[in-house]
Amino acid sequence: MARLIRVELFKLRKRMMTWILLAVLVAFFCMIFLGMYAAAGSAPHDMPGEGLEALKALLQFPDAFNTIFSTAQSIGGILLIILAASAVGSEYGWGTVRQMLSRRGIRSHYLGAKIVSFIIIALIGIVISLIVGVALASFTTIQLAGSINWDFMSASYVGELFKMFGWTAFALLVYILLAVLFAVVGRSALVGIAGGLGYYFVEQIAIAIFNGAGGWLAEIPNYLIGHNINALMATNQPYGPFMTTGTLPSLLHASVTLTIYCLVFLALSLYLFQKRDITA
Amino acid sequence: MLRKDSEVVVRTEHLTKRFGNLVAVEDLNLEIHQGEVFGFLGPNGAGKSTTIGMMLGLIEPTAGQVEVFGLDVRNNLASILPRVGVLMENPGFYPYLSGWDNLHLFAQVTGGVADHRIEQLLELVELSSRTKDKFKTYSQGMKQRLAIACALLRDPEFIILDEPTSGLDPAGMKEIRDLIIRLGQEGKTVFLSSHRLHEVEQVCGQVAIIKQGRMIAQGMMKDLLKRGEMLQLRVTEPDRAMAVLREQSWISSLAREDDLLLLGVSAERATEVSALLAKNGIFVSEMKTREDTLESFFLEVTEEG
Repeated sequence: MARLIRVELFKLRKRMMTWILLAVLVAFFCMIFLGMYAAAGSAPHDMPGEGLEALKALLQFPDAFNTIFSTAQSIGGILLIILAASAVGSEYGWGTVRQMLSRRGIRSHYLGAKIVSFIIIALIGIVISLIVGVALASFTTIQLAGSINWDFMSASYVGELFKMFGWTAFALLVYILLAVLFAVVGRSALVGIAGGLGYYFVEQIAIAIFNGAGGWLAEIPNYLIGHNINALMATNQPYGPFMTTGTLPSLLHASVTLTIYCLVFLALSLYLFQKRDITA
Repeated sequence: MLRKDSEVVVRTEHLTKRFGNLVAVEDLNLEIHQGEVFGFLGPNGAGKSTTIGMMLGLIEPTAGQVEVFGLDVRNNLASILPRVGVLMENPGFYPYLSGWDNLHLFAQVTGGVADHRIEQLLELVELSSRTKDKFKTYSQGMKQRLAIACALLRDPEFIILDEPTSGLDPAGMKEIRDLIIRLGQEGKTVFLSSHRLHEVEQVCGQVAIIKQGRMIAQGMMKDLLKRGEMLQLRVTEPDRAMAVLREQSWISSLAREDDLLLLGVSAERATEVSALLAKNGIFVSEMKTREDTLESFFLEVTEEG
């Protein structure tokens, strides 16, 4: 299994798409931080003071960490859907899935190694997001506050950062498994990407509609992926996560719901991959 | 002699595969022995690739079973596959990786392949000068040669070759035929699925022919060709000779091509034919055996029914 994971990481490392998606992630970080900084600098005079302060706080330590993890989760989720669906689906198009399985027949190992390699890439992505985000936030903090005050960086805050890192990784895992499932079902990169991204965006709209409808319909988002991920990401955000509507479920509810999603996606992917014939 | 004493490498028993209403393979019984170069023939869509897929655990049989090295494929792939080398029709490689990286990657999957072995194989298939070029820049022939190298990575005991000379020029085809012969001489078991009948005829000892998923002929190449063996006669009175021979039940077929008579009878009965005609006052001026080519035999059996 370790050998297969190395092989999968080798494939991802050698693939141009991985590096392009990483560049897109970095570009998004620059756009978000510098865009928000520009917005804070050119805010209209009649903008409420509370709103402006909230915007400025998101660009300065320690709240900048929330911006970093939220961006890593939202943009990272989209990019990982593209990467995972493409890496699984392309193998069908190239005929390499047949070639791989005719050398090592244990299909669960093959798919498992792929998923582990995506998780490793996701973790590396979060670390890179942190590095880029901290660099950008250092710039915006100095610009807005004159200097960086690291007093908040206590042992307990470092623990909080690890927790935020963990929740972000968990949120990304759900999207990885969703993309893998679509790619396995469709046996194609296109179906995987379209299915994964389609679900991602349609769900955001559906959550807004259900919340707007009220009544029992407003309960439905509590069982959808995006809303529960927002609940995870909101744990350390004083101003709440981006693009959230309605009341968020509890952390326990969100963790359990997302774990169930992960298990269902994983089980379905493995079952279908194991059961289906690998033809031309 | 070798067949009976040697180990059975592949055995299929009542192997059947249906895709919905389509029967791809039906009740296929095959036995391939160690050291055999086994030809697997059939028209397009006959079920050859499906059979190979079932041997490799890529396709689940609807009924029956496949054993490779005496082990049921369904539960023993991890033990079987490292001993098998496969060249698939339209082999799959990563287009963004170089030839070397592709081989290195597939070598890593099974393990136990040194870099030196990869170099050796790339030299064997004459790709040494293009090892660093991306697979997507390779010609069809180069892709096929890389696939052959990939099949031989672990020096396998059993090699499955599905259309190995596809896309190769005549010189490349001959090299592959020579390679298959050499592999057979080294004691490897080779399963060759090919549309090129003369290729199979030149390299295979055993042959099986399938049509619409069913086995229609199987045996030693020389025996199958003998089935189509004929005795060719030139006689003094062809018309009378035809009348005499037509009365003999042991002559399976009788035909006339100008002044030549073609008898469906084995060469061992040539003396008997000669004596019979002489007894009737007909004299033979020329007598020789005529064997079918694999191509004519293949066409004959696949067009029947």
